[in-house]
Amino acid sequence: MNYGNLDLAKLIPNMLEASAVTLEVFFLTLLFALPLGLLVAFGRMSRHRFLRWPVQAYQAVMRGTPLILQLLFVYFGPFYIAQEMGITGFKFDRFTACIVAFVLNYAAYFAEIYRAGIESIPVGQMEAAKVLGMTRWQTYRRIIIPQVIKRILPPMSNEFMTLVKDTALAQTIGVAELFRLAQTAQTQAFSTVPLVIAGVFYFVMNYLVGVFFNLAEKKLSYYR
Amino acid sequence: MKMYKALALVMALLMAGVCAAGCAAPQADPTAAPTVEATEAPQEEATPAPEEATEAPVEETTPAPETEETPAPADDQSLQKVLDAGQLVLGLDDSFPPMGFRDADNNIVGFDIDVAKAVCEKLGVELVAQPIDWTAKEQELNTGNIDCIWNGFSISDERKEQVDFSIPYMDNHMTMVVRSGEGIESNADLAGKIVGVQAGSTAQEALLAETELVESLASAPVEFKDNMTALMDLETGGVDAVFMDDVVANYYIAINEKNFTVLSDVLSEEEYAIGFRKGDTALVEAVNAALTELAEEGTLAEIATTWFGKDTTVVGK
Repeated sequence: MNYGNLDLAKLIPNMLEASAVTLEVFFLTLLFALPLGLLVAFGRMSRHRFLRWPVQAYQAVMRGTPLILQLLFVYFGPFYIAQEMGITGFKFDRFTACIVAFVLNYAAYFAEIYRAGIESIPVGQMEAAKVLGMTRWQTYRRIIIPQVIKRILPPMSNEFMTLVKDTALAQTIGVAELFRLAQTAQTQAFSTVPLVIAGVFYFVMNYLVGVFFNLAEKKLSYYR
Repeated sequence: MKMYKALALVMALLMAGVCAAGCAAPQADPTAAPTVEATEAPQEEATPAPEEATEAPVEETTPAPETEETPAPADDQSLQKVLDAGQLVLGLDDSFPPMGFRDADNNIVGFDIDVAKAVCEKLGVELVAQPIDWTAKEQELNTGNIDCIWNGFSISDERKEQVDFSIPYMDNHMTMVVRSGEGIESNADLAGKIVGVQAGSTAQEALLAETELVESLASAPVEFKDNMTALMDLETGGVDAVFMDDVVANYYIAINEKNFTVLSDVLSEEEYAIGFRKGDTALVEAVNAALTELAEEGTLAEIATTWFGKDTTVVGK
């Protein structure tokens, strides 16, 4: 490891500040992508093909292209498209574009996890609830979704952890998050230490994600 | 179950050991880049052990493994290594037109590449252009993945501590690039505006040194991975100016016919040179000699004219 001319007293507060941006991206993405993903999942399972097909196409694009490209496209794309149509100066704010891209991308993945969970519940339960006179909404809210949440926790923890690490891509469109700061500090100080510290920061964040999911699984294992 | 526990324990210990080793080692020698020199040491210390002993009294401050700092010609194998390998590995950020970049056929081309080819011809070796991540350039050099950084690499005092520079071959000015006709005509007009800059570049260093200017801006300079993304953001209105090398800016504007203006307020003047590993003196000298020869023959001026329309080089002037 190369220490170079490093000032830890300055670096650590700066990295904590940059971590705040990373956490903002993380939580805002979850806030919007988790509900959107559920909607997408229902769209994907719909009997109407005019709903199902567009949703499938959206998922194919989002899961089939790199997130880094989607970031650039969401940020720069609208300007150039608007320009083609004769409107100049149309543009998302940097941070907004970043969140939009992350939400669109992650909702596509979340949707498949929800769908796997929902389709794993035996159809008999749905039928039984119907016989008991429950509405579709009641069945989902009281019978299906609680079981689904339990089953999708492990794959969800995967996605959450990937999201923590993917936030490093936000720098592509100039959002100054943790990894950008670490790399800048690395060149300024000619030192690899900032990268190692960034690694520790990401690890701690993901450790906490892991702890959260373990707790949630324990809490929800009430029938065992 | 017991097996698992034992295995887990062994792995945890291993991890801890690796971490400790990685952290502890360099503290003994904080000045130099230790990892690399460690790998190179055996080759160079094999023969000149007695020589080192005679040298030791002369070097007063750091007697131990610092032979590379004051290399006796005999144990500087840098040139010989390149000649033996038959190739010079040049590290570059391949999105830095016109110095080094990818052309339409995905070949690495550029002014620096053309000059490097001419230099390699003089040395009788082949040129290998190795794209690297610009923020990790020093590590690439120190770990021996590349022989030199040759990509519009400008001389700075900070960099001098980490690399050995060749003679400068070109001047470069750093200026603001703005959208034309929006009323920004000098750096003073930038108050309350947003400025973009390439992360890890000397432009960023120079900009941050101008505290008064930076404080007059609307926000801290926005950092981009490369100049092209920064200029795209300038075009689409995300930033109001990009602070960068005028060599690159002029070339980009000429090629893409963009409606940009390069401000005449020069914030920082610098020189482009080639960066080598500390202590690779023989290699540096050989390249310097080749550059001087190329300048005398007029080859350097020729290459410059094809890229910039005029001779912008400074070797031997």
